[in-house]
Amino acid sequence: MEVVWALGQVGAVWMAVVLGLIVLPSALGISLGISEAYMWVLVKTLEWATIRLQKGAKKPQPQVPRTPSATGIIERDETPMEKEIALLHRADFEFSHIFYFCRKGMEAIVEDEVTQRFSSEELLSWNLLTRTNVNFHYISLRLTVVWVIGVVVRYCILLPLRVSLAAIGITSMIVGTTVVGQLPNGRVKNYLSEVVHLTCSRILVRALSGTIHYHNKENRPQKGGICVANHTSPIDAIILTNDGCYAMVGQVHGGLMGIIQRATVKACPHVWFERSEMKDRHLVTKRLREHVADKSKLPILIFPEGTCINNTSVMMFKKGSFEIGGTIYPVAIKYDPQFGDAFWNSSKYNIVSYLLRIMTSWAIVCNVWYLPPMLRKEDEDAVQFANRVRSAIARQGGLTELPWDGGLKRAKVKDTFKEEQQKNYSKMLVRNGSVGSLSAETESD
Amino acid sequence: MGSAHSVPAEMRELADRTGFTSEQIEHLHRRFKQLSQDQLTIRKENFDSIPDLEFNPIRGKIVHAFFDKRNLRQESDGLAEEINFEDFLTIMSYFRPIEMNMDEEQLDRFRKEKLKFLFHMYDSDHDGKITLQEYRNVVEELLSGNPHLEKESARSIADGAMMEAASICVGQMGPDQVYEGITFEDFLKMWQGIDIETKMHVRFLNVDTIAHCY
Repeated sequence: MEVVWALGQVGAVWMAVVLGLIVLPSALGISLGISEAYMWVLVKTLEWATIRLQKGAKKPQPQVPRTPSATGIIERDETPMEKEIALLHRADFEFSHIFYFCRKGMEAIVEDEVTQRFSSEELLSWNLLTRTNVNFHYISLRLTVVWVIGVVVRYCILLPLRVSLAAIGITSMIVGTTVVGQLPNGRVKNYLSEVVHLTCSRILVRALSGTIHYHNKENRPQKGGICVANHTSPIDAIILTNDGCYAMVGQVHGGLMGIIQRATVKACPHVWFERSEMKDRHLVTKRLREHVADKSKLPILIFPEGTCINNTSVMMFKKGSFEIGGTIYPVAIKYDPQFGDAFWNSSKYNIVSYLLRIMTSWAIVCNVWYLPPMLRKEDEDAVQFANRVRSAIARQGGLTELPWDGGLKRAKVKDTFKEEQQKNYSKMLVRNGSVGSLSAETESD
Repeated sequence: MGSAHSVPAEMRELADRTGFTSEQIEHLHRRFKQLSQDQLTIRKENFDSIPDLEFNPIRGKIVHAFFDKRNLRQESDGLAEEINFEDFLTIMSYFRPIEMNMDEEQLDRFRKEKLKFLFHMYDSDHDGKITLQEYRNVVEELLSGNPHLEKESARSIADGAMMEAASICVGQMGPDQVYEGITFEDFLKMWQGIDIETKMHVRFLNVDTIAHCY
């Protein structure tokens, strides 16, 4: 009996602490500075660990440092195909061409640009999490002790705290939006719905120990616009709604997600599609266009890549979002992988194990840049516009741009792409004059 | 703590045999696991998952080379059904870059091995000679992407190159002499004096851990 009573006391104290120190400030939008202090301690610890690792490494450090955005483990020779083949050229079409393609093939097998984007970014220095311990070996006793303390802190203190916060956040979102949804449409309802959404977002961000730096807040998306951003994980949406209200776009899910979706749509005009509706592109575009045309409605949030990429690059933007019209507000999100990897590798982890990994990382640190609004030019089609927006986002976030489709995570390369490249090669071959009499015929291509 | 992909002793033996450093082997091992989807062996189908490779006109021959038993240094002939990590490394070692401290004999052996790999790629029926037909096959594959280029042009390119090869290897031929095919010695003769080592390797970046304080 007494044990139960004692547990009850502990539980009550715990709830009081959580409510007082975290929930209340979130509702009011102020910060008590606890997370800043935590981050400071964390940064100092990781710096210390890095120095120990460096001291412990037996080999002398190389002179050439690998930059964080280095794209891989092999050095690629960027000589264009024509030049390289010309160097080996003897008289006619030769065995030499084989060399070029052979090497390119081998490089692709060792490492290809696309597949590596679907696995987590490799860290340059260990951040005391077992999951990132790939290259690093046992160094010293002190480092191990710190690591053990880290494990205890993360699993026994931070995890329960974060789980309870997340539970509070989600419950209050469902309850709050349902309550607000009962009110008649009007200014009061909109104001209250904004308050509820913002508060719950803040609680959820604290549930992840998120430290977010927003830049260029003057470019924040306005009503009646479309906000596009690069996609790394499902929590991107929470990161953005922490600073403003958006109308979400997405498919209707079942389970807990479905409940949240049904509750929130009563308070705020989110756009949820049934699965069957998603297939019909015209229907989707029409609904979104109607939403955008209404200037009093909140800006829509869309992730045009269509799938989660590992935050080192930006892949092809699907043109559908850019055909709707209206002003586009690009946003670049870049996570700092040192404190916790936010990338969701959906083929490797399901959503629950992903959330658990996030909640047992040190923190989620990211930078969000709001870019100036963009409009489609007269002579641009949707694809060119999409590429222009993508370049702006990639440049701001320091990400590389890849022309590949995120769908390659699961599907194969389209034949049209292949043919382009092969045509290129044979054109060059014929032009080189190895088949002199035919060059006239093949000029028209 | 510490990574445990393979036992250190095995690793050192692999490193000695193939010439890669242990770090490069770890990286390749991770790549192998990615390609094989965590299985112990790879089959031809696993290479389908590489988008960059799709562009390559001789993709078929490159993948084939991985399973060619002659390249795997096995005594037997023919094709293997599946290869394990050791075989994978063996094939990759053909593309090792030259090291500064190699002597004449090592360099020569190195070069011969690379050329032998290439030779096997052409010689698809494993009879030790590259015949005209085999050479034509390779040219057709290289030009397969362009629908405008007819088969005839591919053939004439192949024939022309074959004639040139014959003139280098055999010199002047009599009117009834038939050039059977390029043997490996002839192949070596063709490439005498031309620097192929730098064109046929994959260079690894230095991947040591470096201090980066945030």
